[in-house]
Amino acid sequence: MIECPSCGRRQEPLLTCADCGSPLAAPLDCFTALGLPRKPAIDPAALERRYHDLSRKVHPDRFAASPPRVRDASLRATATLTRSYRTLRDPVARGLYWLELNGEKLAENNKRVPPELAELVFEVQEQLAEMHDAAADPDAARGLAAQVARRRGQLQTTMDERLAELERNFLKWDQRPDERMLRLELKAILSKIAYLRTLIRDVDRALENSKAA
Amino acid sequence: MSRIFGIDLGTTNSLIAAIEDGAPRVIAVGGKRSALLPSVVAIAPDGAVTVGERAIEMEPHLTVERDGRVSAVGFAGGEQGAVIRSVKRYMGLGGDEVAPEDRARYTFADLSGPVVRFQIGRRVFTPPQISAEILRALKAGAERALSAAGKDEKVERVVITVPAYFNDGQRQATKDAGRLAGLEVVRLVNEPTAASLAYGLNKRATGNVAVFDFGGGTFDISILSIKEGIFEVLATNGDTHLGGDDIDRAIVNWLLAELPDTLKLDRHVWNSARMAAEDAKKRLSDVAATQVVVELPGHSIRKQLTRDALEQTAEPFIARTIKRCEMALADAKLTPAGIDAVVLVGGATRMPIVRQRVAKTFHREPLCSIDPEHIVALGAAVQASVLMGTQGDILLLDVVPLSLGIETMGGVMERLIHRNTTIPTSVAESFTTAVDNQTHVDIHVLQGERELANDCRSLARFKLGPIQPQPAGVPRIEVTFLIDANGILNVNARDERTGREHSVDVKPSYGLTDDEIERMLEEAIDLGEQDLEERLLISHRNDAEQILAALRKQLGEFGSLVDAGERARMDEVVERLEAARTGTDRELIAKLVEELNEVTTPFAERIMDAAIKAALEKKSVEELS
Repeated sequence: MIECPSCGRRQEPLLTCADCGSPLAAPLDCFTALGLPRKPAIDPAALERRYHDLSRKVHPDRFAASPPRVRDASLRATATLTRSYRTLRDPVARGLYWLELNGEKLAENNKRVPPELAELVFEVQEQLAEMHDAAADPDAARGLAAQVARRRGQLQTTMDERLAELERNFLKWDQRPDERMLRLELKAILSKIAYLRTLIRDVDRALENSKAA
Repeated sequence: MSRIFGIDLGTTNSLIAAIEDGAPRVIAVGGKRSALLPSVVAIAPDGAVTVGERAIEMEPHLTVERDGRVSAVGFAGGEQGAVIRSVKRYMGLGGDEVAPEDRARYTFADLSGPVVRFQIGRRVFTPPQISAEILRALKAGAERALSAAGKDEKVERVVITVPAYFNDGQRQATKDAGRLAGLEVVRLVNEPTAASLAYGLNKRATGNVAVFDFGGGTFDISILSIKEGIFEVLATNGDTHLGGDDIDRAIVNWLLAELPDTLKLDRHVWNSARMAAEDAKKRLSDVAATQVVVELPGHSIRKQLTRDALEQTAEPFIARTIKRCEMALADAKLTPAGIDAVVLVGGATRMPIVRQRVAKTFHREPLCSIDPEHIVALGAAVQASVLMGTQGDILLLDVVPLSLGIETMGGVMERLIHRNTTIPTSVAESFTTAVDNQTHVDIHVLQGERELANDCRSLARFKLGPIQPQPAGVPRIEVTFLIDANGILNVNARDERTGREHSVDVKPSYGLTDDEIERMLEEAIDLGEQDLEERLLISHRNDAEQILAALRKQLGEFGSLVDAGERARMDEVVERLEAARTGTDRELIAKLVEELNEVTTPFAERIMDAAIKAALEKKSVEELS
């Protein structure tokens, strides 16, 4: 229970007071903060509209003339709202958050390559190593850089496929799901995405370096 | 409740604006009914303060008298009074962060502390105090203008704009300036964001807007999405030490290239050249070539500056702005094709080359329908009316420009809040102890994008505790880092088990402490006699050190210009000053500094003449006539 700093009503924690609409400084989960049902499939345009509408209600700019207690609540409510929006807006961050809400976590610094990606990862790393070794020979380096750039496109396609898979997984939670299966699937997709992200970042860095050289 | 005014506290000019009849308007506070108040503050040896156009007249420079002689006029700095311009460059900086080329510009009392201290007359001034004088002048000017219009209204509450890329310390320093000027700073607003408000208000715009803000001393690029009155910043980037000033300085270096170092660093010579450079740069926006003249005693430097040459000089600086634009676009996950409009802000965007480069980068002609030197102040007035609740449908969602994190094991920066996160925002982090019965945990807060703590800017340090003695790892303290709507960090801590709030004593790494500000506010009244004595002594010692060092250098370079008798007189005073300087008799030090000044004046004049003659004889200087 939390007390509204404006009207004093005690209530369940929400972003705004059920009575007077004043912001509340309550710690909230991302879905409650945005007043959304707890499900991972979200329409981005609707999410943005909701975020904007709620921002108009709680933002400190609206409470510049209010008493310090209300101003403080507005500050905290807005921080909660913003953080929640940021998490839910990005499908990967949302997936990780959903996994956590369901008692699972992606292992940090997972060194094990997802089997499906093993071949691709191996090839890319080989190419990056070659490119690194050929740095002294500009012609060879240019040729390799072109190859790596093509590979970059391939990686992006794989990433896009995984992201589409992620969205499909989100939708499945709407139907009466086998939660354990879905959770495992979600975890597998997210770990592939995490792996691909690192790989794409390495490739981009290498390409950037070769451009600079 | 009183009206809130919008203030653009600029590097070169400052403005104040308010909503009049539903539209934002700048208030004429400068000379000739201009809205621009030059951000120049003159402080006489007796402490008298002058701000604006008249302060510019007091800057040290060379002037041609009616009889044709060139003489040095103005406050030369230190004991003789000083004129501070571009004080914004120093806001929030630690003494050790003052650029080497800036060190000759002014007399500093101390460059080792967490804040820059100027020595002016017998007093020491920090950048927030100088900025406070500009704010006071704006307030007085606006109140005068309002009263002339028949309104008896006071300026008490303000919105002040800051560069979007200002770090926490620079923002805090700006708030401090407001407080020292007796103003309530209701909000700090980022300059490009303010500009977008002024732009979007008229156009009822929707879409993605890039604001390119190239001012006197700072550069910002902000990319916003405007949708139904919500102005949401997607990404911002910039450089708080990159502006039109830098281009002027490059021209000055070219103008004075043939002079010896001692003369280049002479404040009268340098400033005269800066004025000539600034004028020439402005003229070249309209014409293709112009003559730049600096009158020195007995001779003049005359050089032809073409627009092409100016553009080449400006190129490295413009290239840096373009690089920042590309970074901001990438952070906003947009390509130039995704930008619907580009808005120009700041005096430096008047240069045609800047406009061309911006157009090329964003694949479209930039807009400048609103005066680029007024637009920020106008936007500040719009935000002021938002805060007063009289602009119902507009809301600004700004971002934090730099990542915020803490130092972890091995001196690595752990990012807690990423750059371009919408503010206000907060993050909670759990801390524990590393050894048994540890009663305090030290936390070092950093700001920046680099991997190592040493490469980031130190923001603050604080101690968590006292913590109940317990085995290592048992205590759990949750620390919440909250960045408010001004982009300023607030920290609080809570014991996770007891829920009890911990007090957090945050020591900012740079800037003034609350106590120091209080002291400045009361300074006139209760400055401890002892304290004052001490500071005066230090400042006199600094003066002595400076004049001795300068003389040593001059004697090394131009020793042949002194005859034996003169040299003996100098040496005698030098010896006495050297001895006095380690003592505590400040009156004696001051007297000897003056004496040394006197005996060396003819020598200084001869150096000036010789240097100019030498410069003229150089074959490489065909432009000189």
